[in-house]
Amino acid sequence: MTTGSKAGRRVEWMLTLPSLLWLVVLFVIPTVLVLAISFRPPTPSGGVGDGWTLQTVLALRNPSYPVIVWRTLRLSAETALICLFFGLPVAYLMARSSDRAKRVLLLLVIVPFWTSFLIRIFAWKVLLHPEGVMKQAFAWAGLVAPDASLMYNEGAVLLVLVYTYLPFAILPLYAAAERFDFGLVDAAMDLGCHKFRALLNVFIPGISRGLATALVVVFVPALGSYVIPDIVGGPGGEMLGNKIAQRVFVDRNLPHASALSSLLTVAVVVPMLAGLALRRHRVRPGGVK
Amino acid sequence: MQIRRALSLVGVLAAVAIMAGCSRAGKPVLHVFNWSDYIKEDLVKVFEEKYGCRVVMDFYDSNETMYAKVKAGGGGYDVIFPSSYMVSIMHGEGMLMPIDRSKVPNLKYIDPDYTRFTMDPGSDHSVPYMISNSGIGYLKSRVPEVKSSWGMFDDASLAGRMTLMNDMRETIGAALKFLGYSLNTTNDFELAEARDVVIRWKKNIAKFESEQYRNGLASAEFLLCHGYNGDVMQVMEENDDVGYVIPEEGTSLASDDMVIPKDARNPDLAHAFINFLHEPEVAAENTAYIFYLCPNTASYKLLDAEVLEDPTVVLPEALLAKCEVIRDLGELNEKYTKVWDEIKAAQ
Repeated sequence: MTTGSKAGRRVEWMLTLPSLLWLVVLFVIPTVLVLAISFRPPTPSGGVGDGWTLQTVLALRNPSYPVIVWRTLRLSAETALICLFFGLPVAYLMARSSDRAKRVLLLLVIVPFWTSFLIRIFAWKVLLHPEGVMKQAFAWAGLVAPDASLMYNEGAVLLVLVYTYLPFAILPLYAAAERFDFGLVDAAMDLGCHKFRALLNVFIPGISRGLATALVVVFVPALGSYVIPDIVGGPGGEMLGNKIAQRVFVDRNLPHASALSSLLTVAVVVPMLAGLALRRHRVRPGGVK
Repeated sequence: MQIRRALSLVGVLAAVAIMAGCSRAGKPVLHVFNWSDYIKEDLVKVFEEKYGCRVVMDFYDSNETMYAKVKAGGGGYDVIFPSSYMVSIMHGEGMLMPIDRSKVPNLKYIDPDYTRFTMDPGSDHSVPYMISNSGIGYLKSRVPEVKSSWGMFDDASLAGRMTLMNDMRETIGAALKFLGYSLNTTNDFELAEARDVVIRWKKNIAKFESEQYRNGLASAEFLLCHGYNGDVMQVMEENDDVGYVIPEEGTSLASDDMVIPKDARNPDLAHAFINFLHEPEVAAENTAYIFYLCPNTASYKLLDAEVLEDPTVVLPEALLAKCEVIRDLGELNEKYTKVWDEIKAAQ
């Protein structure tokens, strides 16, 4: 890419400005505020005191946190991988369908968004209800004990997380697959490659951008899950989001809640910046991409 | 451009504020912030007609959410219904207006037996609204051998179908009562014992839940739940199979009070509303509907025997003596937070 002229640069700036402003006002400033509050002392009445302290940040060494952080990371990673696993074939199928079928499939992926997120989670509660049809059927088939509950365990949390985030994985995968030149797969097969290997070695690397986007778009919001583990999770299924809510609503300790959510932000932003830096590093020596 | 946008935003906000001040019909408006299902709606209509005003109600699900919103300057409410411990916090922060006793003549009916459960027995800045207790709601057909004891949560045959409240003071308090301690203790050994009891109970429960247990009981998703008396009895209205017991070891009593925030726009109407809810007929009708006891002596005579003799609404003397109100412990709340964290993290 050639470096743009001065005028070109200005146009570039003008075009970026609205989204940049949006990001600064609605993301950077609030994040910095949250970070700042985590260095303030809490007051017993639930406010934020004056002065600065390291007490709260040091309190993050709470021995119960590693378990919750690990559970949050693990559940989010599992969600992201399962979403990719199911999203890939769907995206492939959509990209290879006729235009008409494409439109219908795309609509089917998007239709659930027309219903409130909360209502869809409550629908799962009905589906998994211990006196419900599904449970009765499983119990009749001898798969579960008659008094067991399908809900309020980690499996239920994972199930509903995957259900919620699957469309977010399908859409970027589909966008990437749509741009992919399927002639390459045919070429690979003409050269004697088995279809499955052709997909694995040609199609998947070809849509790696889409894969990376899908991974991030699922993993990052899953890290911040609060409602799902709250509604279908059991007594031992807390995620970091639930802990933050407890700090705000029960303990009335805003600095501690801020410190926890800063931790979450740092955990998300640092690897992403590192990835970005790595990529830039890789591109630069050659000069041309 | 940013400044212009900011200015126009201020303009919009000012317009909203002005519109909020006077209603479409020019009637005065009373803004009420209350718990859900905590007042008989028909009584609000009676009040609106009597005073030629409009009542706008918003709802909250915990004292803390309410506090956060009001503290941040939100709402512009005239009457709020916090629990006693929250009343003392808000009073400490200088957020409440003193009650003008001359505007609330019905204060004379307040039952002195119950004012010990409030933090403001003289009704200086709050007026008691309802007395509630926490206990155990259950399905009669599924739990025929129910005992009035917190020990029910040790019953492994109900594993996965019970809930404890997702409220550290209520749930740790239940364990403390089970062990025979005060639910306001700050003794580390007693708290550690209570922690181990809750961790034992945790193995048997489906989840910690303070809201959805009502639907859960109604639909037989849960068979036995730790909950508030009025909430469970409202479910009973829908489902005859639901029962409620107060554990004999004692439990927590709470007084939810009515307060007027300092920045109320309509303090006169707010006083009138508080006074109205303590009219003996109104108080009796309200209690009979929401199944919480309004501590209003003149209203007791108007209550049906069914309500008055219900030991879960009007507690017997001996049981009442074992009950306590949850007090705000200030900095010592941290002890409960620490125990609650340990309970939540335990495997």
